[in-house]
Amino acid sequence: MLKGHLDMIVLAALSRGPAHGYAVIQEIHRRSGGAFELPEGTIYPALHRLEQAGLLSSQWTTAESGRRRRVYALTKRGTRTLAEERAVWLRFADAIGGLLGSPGHATTRTSR
Amino acid sequence: MRQPAPVADYLDALARDLGFDPSLAHRVRQEVEDHLWEATTANGDTSIEAQARAVMNFGEARMIAGQYAALSLLRQARRSGAMIVLAAGALYVAMKGRVAWYGLMQWVLSDTLQPVGKVVLAIDRAAYILALLLGVVGWAYISSRRVSPRFDTACRSQLRWSLGLVTAAACPMVVSVIADAAVTALRLLEERPPISVCGIPLLSITIEVAVAAVLVMAIGKTLRNTLRASSLLSN
Repeated sequence: MLKGHLDMIVLAALSRGPAHGYAVIQEIHRRSGGAFELPEGTIYPALHRLEQAGLLSSQWTTAESGRRRRVYALTKRGTRTLAEERAVWLRFADAIGGLLGSPGHATTRTSR
Repeated sequence: MRQPAPVADYLDALARDLGFDPSLAHRVRQEVEDHLWEATTANGDTSIEAQARAVMNFGEARMIAGQYAALSLLRQARRSGAMIVLAAGALYVAMKGRVAWYGLMQWVLSDTLQPVGKVVLAIDRAAYILALLLGVVGWAYISSRRVSPRFDTACRSQLRWSLGLVTAAACPMVVSVIADAAVTALRLLEERPPISVCGIPLLSITIEVAVAAVLVMAIGKTLRNTLRASSLLSN
């Protein structure tokens, strides 16, 4: 289910502000209601890939524990990409909803 | 008997599997260490079992390293591709500079060296043009590749092509530099001009040899890292 959408999910998880890898995973878990079961480690190569693509920036900070921590934030390009991906996804979800005849769509169509 | 240390053992295994990119391995190790301890202590428990659970939820080290490999090795290949194009530019400037200097000094090849010089220069020119063409094609190919999220067959094939093109461009480039060095050496050995006259040709040849050496070393390193990743991460 996640295949091909991980980058968008990671960008979305960072849309509320900068976060480190563990917090990104927690945010995904929280906002998806625990729907995505993925090995937590797969987030890190995705973060790295998105940073290389210029969609994220990152910097080292020191956590309260004294450990070094990498914090990621959306860049302007990342924010723009997320908005584009979101629009595409909403159109797609709407189209699929229409095809599958979800109750919401059925109501909308009959009321027109 | 050694106490089990799941987090430390996992970090060692991950760093080992990321051996194809030491600086990346260092960064990832620090980042993952923070994650695993954060996950371990999330429930206020630092027991061996809590550590093992955090490690298990993180995923197999080899799989994670494989996802990094695709990105890291393509980046290394891209760097090699860009270096080929830059090296071709540097060689061109060095060659043109040397030829301009010969013109300024009215330094022509002697009758005895003319036949050899013609052959070597023809080899030089053909090798350079071939290197430039292959370099540009290789660079364009590598730059247009999308980063695969996995170190799978498609990604490996992409890397093989990228490195094949870069190596194919580097070989004639080395031939071109050897040909340049040979002609320059023949000129200098025959006429033995004063250092004020032969300084520019010597400097330009030194630059060419240094550029070729750096290029060969960089490509060699990328090839070694790719082979290492392939052998480490192959199932």
